[in-house]
Amino acid sequence: MYKFAYHKAKNVKDAAALLKKAGDSKLLAGGQTLIPTLKLRLAGPAALVDIGGVKELSGIALKGKDLVIGAMTRHAEVATSKVVRKAIPALAALAETIGDPAVRNQGTIGGSIANNDPAADYPAACLGLGATIVTSKRKIPADKFFKGLFETALGDDEIITEVHFPVPKSAGYAKFPNPASRYALVGVFVSRNGSDVRVAVTGAGEGGVFRVAEMEKALQKDFSAKALDGIAVKPRGLNSDIHASAEYRAHLVGVMAKRAAASAA
Amino acid sequence: MKWTAIDDFGIVINPMIVEGQVHGGIAQGVGQALLEGAVYDKHGQLVTGSYMDYCMPRADNLPSFNVDYVVTKCPSNPLGIKGCGEAGAIAAPVAVVNAITNAVGHEDVPMPATPQAVWAAVQKSAKLRKAAE
Ligand SMILES: Cc1cc2nc3c(=O)[nH]c(=O)nc-3n(C[C@H](O)[C@H](O)[C@H](O)COP(=O)(O)OP(=O)(O)OC[C@H]3O[C@@H](n4cnc5c(N)ncnc54)[C@H](O)[C@@H]3O)c2cc1C
Repeated sequence: MYKFAYHKAKNVKDAAALLKKAGDSKLLAGGQTLIPTLKLRLAGPAALVDIGGVKELSGIALKGKDLVIGAMTRHAEVATSKVVRKAIPALAALAETIGDPAVRNQGTIGGSIANNDPAADYPAACLGLGATIVTSKRKIPADKFFKGLFETALGDDEIITEVHFPVPKSAGYAKFPNPASRYALVGVFVSRNGSDVRVAVTGAGEGGVFRVAEMEKALQKDFSAKALDGIAVKPRGLNSDIHASAEYRAHLVGVMAKRAAASAA
Repeated sequence: MKWTAIDDFGIVINPMIVEGQVHGGIAQGVGQALLEGAVYDKHGQLVTGSYMDYCMPRADNLPSFNVDYVVTKCPSNPLGIKGCGEAGAIAAPVAVVNAITNAVGHEDVPMPATPQAVWAAVQKSAKLRKAAE
């Protein structure tokens, strides 16, 4: 680990000011991604701004038609929340599949979305539910938020404060976990909210999470696993690595999409 | 899924310890058959350098085990005992991979037989079936 200064933020405003003042600095949320990166010396920020103690960033509530989750809310809280289980059970189930108990007790939704790991689960839920990411500066629709591998629309001193998930009529998530890390080798999130049907795929795309228009069209006509029969995504543009080839991932997208639709229907 | 391991360890003095050894051995064997693969890139760099990439068997990868013994007293020591440390690990990979080759209908199955490897083997079975028609 390289040397860095440590600041503990009192509130969001304070965190934003500290980020700006410290220059080459990074927010510290649950630390599940950032701390290992520092330990391996893959990053060497001059300062960390810890938002772990910022109360206003944590919590789960239903507000009108939206389920609102604060950025510092841990995966374990989402997985076990009665509010989430009732409003969007697929989201609670998704949080339950993240890593292991230690990761779920520390890792946060804000950290996961800001990091935008191509194999992370929450990006699929955000895109698959048409969420809005609220920051210290603006509101960003999920369709415009995820920009590529580990890249988002966030500016340098911009802080995610909340994620607003419209409560769908039904939703489902199916994940084929990497047997070692338990990140998604492929994960597919499907949802239906009136005429808005979404299919979002994580773990597979070279550019991170993406939607599948052809599957959405088929599900709009008939929201069932059967409607997806014969619809295949092409291996082109999908990841190939030591865990799975693009061809295998393409196959898994079809299988996981059907399982997700079956669990949602 | 049912897993039965029958071994001949001679006289079993402490059954609990012996059964534990067999459990550990089976887990190691299943890991070898299905999960554990050390991968190097073309520059010789180990790319499975952490448990995020190198898959060790864990409890949820394994079924419950049914362990039993056939006792043939060992004639060359006064206790009549035999070694048992690695027994589980010897038959386990063979049993697992034989089950897979039996299911796919050919022997072109690598170790570890990861989901992708089994998927590829199933594709090959379909091709072989077509060619035979
Ligand atoms: C063993 C292991 C297994 C895992 N398995 C999975 C899995 O199966 N699925 C999955 O999705 N993830 C998995 N993860 C990742 C985990 O979910 C992390 O918790 C998450 O990616 C990062 O969240 P964090 O709160 O720990 O963020 P941190 O590590 O603290 O921060 C990550 C990045 O986000 C930035 N950041 C944090 N909060 C904010 C904010 N509010 N606004 C703007 N930027 C912010 C930080 O500056 C940093 O760059 C795993 C991690 C480990 C170690």
